[in-house]
Formats: sequence, structure tokens, C-alpha cells
Amino acid sequence: MKDRVKLRLERIIGVMGPLLFSLAFLDKRKKYLWIVISAGFISMVSRMFVPLLIGDAVGSLQKLQYSSVEHFALLIVLASAVSGAMQFIVNYGAQYLSQVYSYNLRNDVFGHILRKNVGFYENQTSGDLLSRTTMDIEATRNYILTTLAQLIPTIFMIGFSFVALLILKVEFAAIFTLTVPVLILVGLIFQQKQRTHWRHIRIYYGLMNEHLQENIVGNRVVRGFSAEKQEIDKFSETTEQFFQENMGIGRLRGKYNNMMPLIVGAAATIVLLYGGFVSIINGSNIGPLVSAVNIFSIISFPVSFLGRMIVFSENSKASIMRINEIRTLEKEEELSALPEIYPNGDLSFRDVSFRRGDREILRNISFEIRVGEFVGLTGRTAAGKSTLVNLIPGFSKPSSGMILIGDKQLNAFPLSSLRKAVAIVPQEITLLSGTVRDNIAFGNMNADDDEIKQSAAIARISDFIESLPLKYNTVIGERGITLSGGQRQRVAIARAILTKPGYLILDDATSSVDPETELEIFRNIKKEMTHTTVILVSHRESALKFADRVLKLTDGQISAVPDFKKAEEELSTRPEHHDIHAGVDRFATGL
Amino acid sequence: MIYTRELTDLPLDYDDQEDQLIRTGKSLPSFSRLLRDMFRMRRESTEVIIAVMITAVAGTLYPLSLGYAINSVIRRDYTGLYLFASGFFLLYVVQFFSNWLRTVSSTKLAQSTIKSLRDRSFQNLQHVPVSFFSKVKTGYLISRITNDAETLSEFLTFQLPQVVSGITTVLVSISIMFYKDFSLTLYALIVIPVLAGFTFSIQGRVRLNYLKTRKTIAAITGNLSENINAVRTIKAFNVEQRIQGNFNELNVKNFEANMKASKLSSLYGTVIRIIESLGIAVVIIAGSMQLQSGVTTVGILVAFVIYVQEFFDPVVQLSQLYNSYQSAMVGVSRIYGIIDSPVETMPGGTGRKREFRDSIELSDVSFSYGTDQALNGIGIRIARGEKVGIVGHTGAGKTTLSNLILKFYSPTNGSVTLDGVSMDEINTEDYRKLIAPVLQDPFMFRGTVYENIRFADSTVSRETVDDMARKFGLSEIFAGLPDGLNTNVGEMGRNLSEGQRQAISILRAFVRNPEILILDEPTSQIDPDSEKLIIASLREYLKDKTLILITHRFSMISLVNRIVVLQEGGLVEDGTFGELLDRKGIFSELYRIQYGPVDRYPI
Repeated sequence: MKDRVKLRLERIIGVMGPLLFSLAFLDKRKKYLWIVISAGFISMVSRMFVPLLIGDAVGSLQKLQYSSVEHFALLIVLASAVSGAMQFIVNYGAQYLSQVYSYNLRNDVFGHILRKNVGFYENQTSGDLLSRTTMDIEATRNYILTTLAQLIPTIFMIGFSFVALLILKVEFAAIFTLTVPVLILVGLIFQQKQRTHWRHIRIYYGLMNEHLQENIVGNRVVRGFSAEKQEIDKFSETTEQFFQENMGIGRLRGKYNNMMPLIVGAAATIVLLYGGFVSIINGSNIGPLVSAVNIFSIISFPVSFLGRMIVFSENSKASIMRINEIRTLEKEEELSALPEIYPNGDLSFRDVSFRRGDREILRNISFEIRVGEFVGLTGRTAAGKSTLVNLIPGFSKPSSGMILIGDKQLNAFPLSSLRKAVAIVPQEITLLSGTVRDNIAFGNMNADDDEIKQSAAIARISDFIESLPLKYNTVIGERGITLSGGQRQRVAIARAILTKPGYLILDDATSSVDPETELEIFRNIKKEMTHTTVILVSHRESALKFADRVLKLTDGQISAVPDFKKAEEELSTRPEHHDIHAGVDRFATGL
Repeated sequence: MIYTRELTDLPLDYDDQEDQLIRTGKSLPSFSRLLRDMFRMRRESTEVIIAVMITAVAGTLYPLSLGYAINSVIRRDYTGLYLFASGFFLLYVVQFFSNWLRTVSSTKLAQSTIKSLRDRSFQNLQHVPVSFFSKVKTGYLISRITNDAETLSEFLTFQLPQVVSGITTVLVSISIMFYKDFSLTLYALIVIPVLAGFTFSIQGRVRLNYLKTRKTIAAITGNLSENINAVRTIKAFNVEQRIQGNFNELNVKNFEANMKASKLSSLYGTVIRIIESLGIAVVIIAGSMQLQSGVTTVGILVAFVIYVQEFFDPVVQLSQLYNSYQSAMVGVSRIYGIIDSPVETMPGGTGRKREFRDSIELSDVSFSYGTDQALNGIGIRIARGEKVGIVGHTGAGKTTLSNLILKFYSPTNGSVTLDGVSMDEINTEDYRKLIAPVLQDPFMFRGTVYENIRFADSTVSRETVDDMARKFGLSEIFAGLPDGLNTNVGEMGRNLSEGQRQAISILRAFVRNPEILILDEPTSQIDPDSEKLIIASLREYLKDKTLILITHRFSMISLVNRIVVLQEGGLVEDGTFGELLDRKGIFSELYRIQYGPVDRYPI
């Protein structure tokens, strides 16, 4: 029981938690916080004068002192003007601080996102990261705004109401004192009861999102297998559950939220009856009574607002937790802690192993690639080829063993230098919105037009670009033209070539390019980039034909393909005409 | 309803459309349609209206009962005080119950409306032409159906009833005031034109400010989403600093837009408070003169002061509501846009077709995506049991051809027939039971590998799936997975390799045991060893089936007994493997590139 009381108290105090969290992001503007809080204080004091002055005005009317009425009216306008002016400072200042907070926090979180290593992204969905950096930050900003602009003034107001009532009549203050705990209790019960509903709502909302995502992206599968009805039913089931949870909250809200004004109303009635009878009995002035009833009616809204703030604060604290999960330094990489050295020399793997969880993907791999070599890497699906090449630009670190460039280990280079030297083109290409030129120059903004055109020519995409009406200024992506898979891959290769890498890794980077063009790209690379070491990952023979030699990854271990050149010769002596099955079988056996 | 019709052309610039909607404030058509949708739930909407009105009327009566109670005190009338104070409390009780009813029924009304909007848009998305999805971004659709619908929740549950209650309160209280004291009411209303004029004069600027904040935050979200997806590229090219700098620029713009908007709205709040106090002062001064001439009582004066305070509340609320009304209307017109998107022009006739007897025939088929002619006068007849390979360069129209056969698109010209019956007349669902595709992009749904394979038919047993996987030599591909076929595939299958996804996509089609199989580059990501196993077992599996195999590589070509070559949308060669090699045309050239040795292409 004691623990429960403690827990509840903590929750009440916890409404200020997000504001405390925000302090770290207000930098030197923290001082404005005091201005906003003081303005809130003054605004509420002057606002409290209005019901008191109304009471006094009514009181003097009752006493037939009409001359002083104008005086009270003037004071009412004055008090409101002061309160209004202060309210401006409160609203504007609160907005200002909350915007400073979200501005700084957004930059901070985005910085963390950029510093996270690739391993971090393997277990993250982009939708989730996006919602943390947008919705969660916005939700906490909103809460902080409400704390400054409404919650703190409301607390002052409740305090002043008590003082005002105390001045008017001790009994009124006593009735007030009894009311407030009852209101808070109702608020807490309400909040307690709706908590599970909120949790479920968040879950179903997430489900709805996921379901939509896959239904839309996979629309051809849904249609191809005529699963439309099944999908509609499934979606409708989720929205139904979402509906039910919302109704659950609606029913609770109907009862508890509206109970609060009723409690205030009851208190106001007691004040009216008690004050009225006393007034009749001793013939005292009704001014204080009018003021008191007016005060009760003014605070009935703010008080029910407090109850809602408790729920609101819990959601906001949950958001802060999600934001902070990104802000931990875990899985972050230091880009340029070390002095800049440009990697140069032969690339060698010595006893390199890599495990993910319990699975050992690479086992004691050793090999060496000399400067300027064009080496193929092949192996079965999921053999670990991509894992291996991702070690080279430092996307992940080997579990044991070492990787050297020249005579230096990889971790002797700052990541920024390493990644300037190593360009990797993956199979799945991400292009960014902007023009074709922007995309090719993505890694080398200083490149001039000739360099850009030359890279495009090597990647065999220049003819296509020249055929576009705006050529290199054509916008691609959402608001521009759509490129086919092969075109995207070629733009990505041009983008990598433009950075003039010492090491170029093509990780199945031409899977959607047709074989003819593919061959020409490799030929161009070999001819134009003689000093660049090239690693070509592929399981397709037509591609591997270009390599000086081929390494094969089997069961986490590397082996050279010994008869590679011999196989080549065999092929070249093969007659044009031959049995189709022989050709297929030869192909299907792999290397 | 001009506006909603425009919105159905979704691929138009929807950002600009949103712009226009806010700038001009022309959101009435969507609003009235939304209201009609809501009023369809007669019981709930009647309940809401009645409850809101009771609440509002009770609210306007209580200053009056307070005024009478105070008059009783002045008159030293115990019974009067008791009576009016009880009335005062009774009004609170009435409000409690009417508000309870209002909250529950407005929640129901709002949430059912939202559910129905969501369900209807989802339903329509299942029936729009496939081409729709290449024009509209996934993220756009998702955020309409989830986010935009959700912004309606607050608007429909609280704000819309608030409008009704605000209007009722103002009307009822003004009537009571006029009834009680005509001239004092005129004094009390003096400030109303000031208030209205002020509110009206700044509305245009409020709208523009709001638009600006919306656009700047959308820019931030867009930038974030792009960068999160491109994070590997950013790292690979070492451009973190530049990207962070760009982000900061957008962030600054958003900050400035918000501060500008906030200046105006904070000022508005202040001015409203001052106008309110002027109103009270006028009532008190005018009231004191009325009292001197004995026209009114102190109690009525008190009631008037409270009335003035009270009707400022709805006015302030209404003006604050304006922004949420705008954003709710932008949201709802976009949702209607999705609901109204035209459905497939060939929803499939009523013709029942449960078997495939003779042939599929394409006669003089042409197809274009917009202005790009993708297929031109194609004529092919594929007999039942035939195995046909469709070969050609990237962009030759192979996938388009399979899309036509799968009924994803209908030809711009010419016809596709099944056993002589036009596709347009065949029930789409029936047809798709006869045919199963393995698409180029293997798509994964949430759930386990099993669930993905059994995607379209949950009656398929696990044993069948296991058998199939073993038979096609695909078990080994899944061997590395932590829980075998019970492994969760992750979002979009990210826990799997490309090859594993392709294997699932193959099995998904094969467990359906269809009459016709369409394979579109089914093994491009599968290594040659596994591919060999698949090919070997396919021979047996395909015995009585019809196969359409699309490929620009030749590893699986031994499965087909006829090859059709496409070139720039036209059919250029058709024959057996041997015939085509002899012809020394495009096919033999394609074949030579892949099997010819490297030295034919001098470096």
C-alpha cells in the first residue's frame, strides 16, 4: 500500500520530468526559463484579481456605492492587461524554449544516427528510427510547451485560488482544500484504468502501419495469389481492435473526465449555500461570495487539465526513453580520431574470423590482393561474401585476426581516410533525391563536369544520361524520373568511380545490368583505373571472366579457383554449336 | 465536388495541392462529405447533437440560477437561496450525464468514421490498377491511412462537438440575456464586432504561417527518412558532415517558421483577454447605471458578467480550432483521394473459369506506360503443356508481357484470351488460381519462412512445405537460419539473404500447384549449385504444367522447348533452341556473349 502511494506520488512529481530532460538542450538559453516562469506567476496573480474585483464591484453595488464602480471596472481592465501582457511572454517564451529544445535535440539525435555503425542498422527498422526522430521529439516538445505555458501557470493558479479564498473566508479555503485531493484521486484512477488501453493502441497502430507497408509494397504478390479478401479481412480485424481500444478509453473518459467538473460544481454549491446562509444571517456583504463562486468556476477547467497532464506526461516520458536509446554511445564509430593517413598498398587478410551471434561466418581467412589487381570473389548464396567485403571499409570489425593495407592494420587508419580510399558498391542501391549530377558527385562535390562525364562513361551510363532532356540536370526520384534497376546500379558505379578510390569493391553491383553492358563496364574499369585494386563479388561466370583470378568462399573458408584460367581456355575452344544441355550443365556446376 | 475529383489524380503534385487547400481555405466539399459519412450513423450522431445541446443549455442556465441565488441572499430569502442553489447544482448533475453520453457517443462516431475511412481506402488499394503503385509512393499512402486518419480523431471526438456546443452556448446565452435585460445585453455585445474583426483580419496570416510550419517540418521528415535509408551510402562516401549541415539548415528554417507563427498566436491570446476584460468593464459600468435607475438587479448583473466571460471561451476555442480544422481537412481530402482512386479498368468479368484446357493467346497486343511503348503488336499462342522461354535484353518488354498474362495490366491494344475467352470476361480471382507467378523481386511478409511460403493458402501443411523444399534442393539454403523454417523473416525479409528470399518466392508459387507457372528471373540470386538442383526437380514437377520462363540468362533454358525473343517491345524470333542458334540472330548473339570467352572482347 505504501509503495503504491509512493508510486503515485512519483507519477505526480514525474509530470515535470520532461522539462528537466529538456534543460540539457536549452544551452545558454536556460535563463529564459526563469523569465517564462516569473511571467506565468505575475500573470496568474493579476488574473486572480479579476474575480476579486468583480466581487468588490458587486459588493459596492449592493451597498449602493455607485461611484466606486468605475474605479473597479478600470482596475479589472488594468489587471487583465497586465495578465494578458504576461501571458504573451509566457506563450511566446514557452514556444521559443520548446522550439530551441526540439531544434537542438533533433540535431543531436541526427548526429548520433550518422555515427551509428552498420551493425546498429541491421536490427533497426527505418520506420522506427524515423518515428523516434520525428514523432517522439515532437511529442516531447509539445509536452514541454504545455508544461511551461499551462501546467506551471495552472499550479500557480491553484495556489493563488487557495490564498484568495483564504482571504475571502477561511471556510471557503477549507472547502477548496477538501476538493483538490478528491480531484487528483479521480484523475489518478482514470489514468490508471486507461493505461493498458493506450499500450494496446500503440501496438495496433504499429501493426496497422506494418500491414499497410507490406500490402502496398507486395501488392503484386497479393494480387498474383489473389489474396485480396484475406488481406482486407486481416486489416479490418486490426482496425476493429484499434476501434475497441479507443472505445474503452472513450467510456472511461466519459465517466471520469466529466466527474471532475461535477466535483467542482458540488464544492461551488456548498460555498454558495454556506456563504449565502451566513450572509443572510449576519447581513454581511455578498461580494466575497460572488468572488468565491467565480473562483471555483474559473479553476474547474485547469483542475481537470491536471489529471490529463499525468497521462500526457507518461507518454512523453516513454518518448524520451525511445529517444535516449538512440542517444547512447553504443554502436557508434569515431570517424576521425586518428591523424589522417591515406591507405595505400597491398590488401591482406590474416586469419580473419567473423561471427554473428553463435554463427561463425568467416573462419581463419587469409589471402592477399596486390595493388591494381582485379580479383573475383565467388561462393554460394549466403556464403558470407558481403560480410567479407564489408570488413574492408570498416563497416564491421573482424572477431579475430587482422586486415592490413600495406603494412598497417585497418584500425590504424581513421575511418574517414579508410572510406575515402575504399569505395564499395552494394547490390541494393540507394540514390538520393536531386539531379543525376548531384547523385554522381555525391562523394566528391568538387568534381568538375569532365570528371563527372568521364565516370559516367566508364560506368556506361553516359549515353542514357545524354539522352535525357535535361541531361545531367535531370531530377531523379520521387519528383523526377524513375530509373530502372540496371540504370540505378550504373549511376552508383559512376558515383563510386568519381571518388577515385584506391580500392573498388563491386558487391554484385551489376546484377540488374544486362551481360553485354556488364562486360563493357568491367573492361572500362580495367582500362581506365589501372591503379585501383578491384574486388568483384559475383556468382555469375560471365562476370567473373574478367577477373585476374577468382577466390571462392565455401563454408567460411577461402580457396583459390585453381582451374580458372584453364576453364577459360576450354570455353574459348568450345564450338559455337553444341548441345544445349551440355551448356546448361556446364554453367550450372559453377566454378 | 470539383476538389475531390481533382484529388483522385493522386500522382499529381500532392504537395502543391495541399498548399492550395490551405492557402485558399477551400475545404468545404471534403468537410460536407465527411459530415455526410458521419450522419450515416444516425443513432450516434443524434445522441451527440442532443447531448451537446443539453450540456450547452445547462451551461448557460447556471449563471442565471447563480444570479437568482444571489438575489435571494440580498432579499434574505432562505427558500429562494436553497431552491436556486439546488438548481445550480442540478445543472452540474445534468451536465455530467449529458457530457458522459456525449463523450461516449462522439468517440464512437469518430472512431467508426475513422475505421471506415481506413477500411475503405485499404479496400480500394486492393483494387486499383497495379500501375497506381508506381505513381504513388508507399510512404505517402501509409501516412495518409494511419497519420491523417489519426489527426481526425482529435478533431471529430472533441473539436467538432465543441463547435456545436460553442455555437449553442453563444446563441442560448444571448437569447437569455436579451430576454432578461435588453439594453444591458447590447452593452455586453459591444465588444463582439471588435473581437470578430480582429479574428477575421489575422486569419489569412495565420493560415500562411501554419502552411509554412507544415512545409518545413515535412522537409525535415523527408530529409530524415531519405538519410536513414541511405545511411550506408553516406558512410561509404564519408559525407556525414555535409549531410549534417544540410539537415541543420532545414532545422533552422523550421525553427524560424514556428517562431513567426507563434508570435502571432501569442499576440492573439493576449488581445482576446484584453477585449474580454473590456467587455466585463462595460457591463459593470452600464450595469451600475441600470441599477441606479432600478431597471436591473445585482443578481442579473453578476449573471451578465459570467455570461461575458463564458462566451469568450467558445470564441477563443473556435479560433484555436481553425488550424486543426485545416489540417484535418487536408488529411481527409487526401484519404478521400485514395478512396476515390479509380479501380482496375478490368475488374474481371463474371465468367467462371476453373480449368485451363487449351491455350493462352495474345493477339496483336500492344502496351504502353504513359508515352513509352513497351510492347508492340505481339502475337503468341501458348498451348497447354508447352514450356516457353521469353528472352531478350533488359527493357525489351519481357516483364511487361508477363504482367499482361498475369492480368496486372490490360493491353492498350489487342487482346489476351484464355481458351478463346477474353481476359476481360474472366473472373480475376478464378484466373489467378490457375496461374502462379515467381516475381522478379521476391517479396516477404511479416512472419516466419513457413508463413511466407503458405502465404496464399494456409491449408498447406508444414510437411508439404518441407517436402517441397527438399525436393527442389532448397532445404539447404535455409539450413543456416537459426530456427530453420520457423525463423522470423523480419521487416521485408531483412533477416534473409537475397537467395533465401528468392527460394521462398519459388516455393510460394510451387505449393499452389498451379496449371500455369510464370517464372520471372527466378534464380538470379541463387548460386549455380542450388540452381542446378532446382532445375533437375523442376523437370519432373512441370510435367503436366504450362511454363512461361522469363530470363536474360540461359541457365534454365534447358527447361523450355520453345523460345520467344523480344527486342524493343516487338517479337523478333520464335522457335526451338537449335533453330534460333542457327538463325544467327539476336538469340545466338545473346548466347554468345554469355558463353563466349573473354578474349573476343579485346581490352
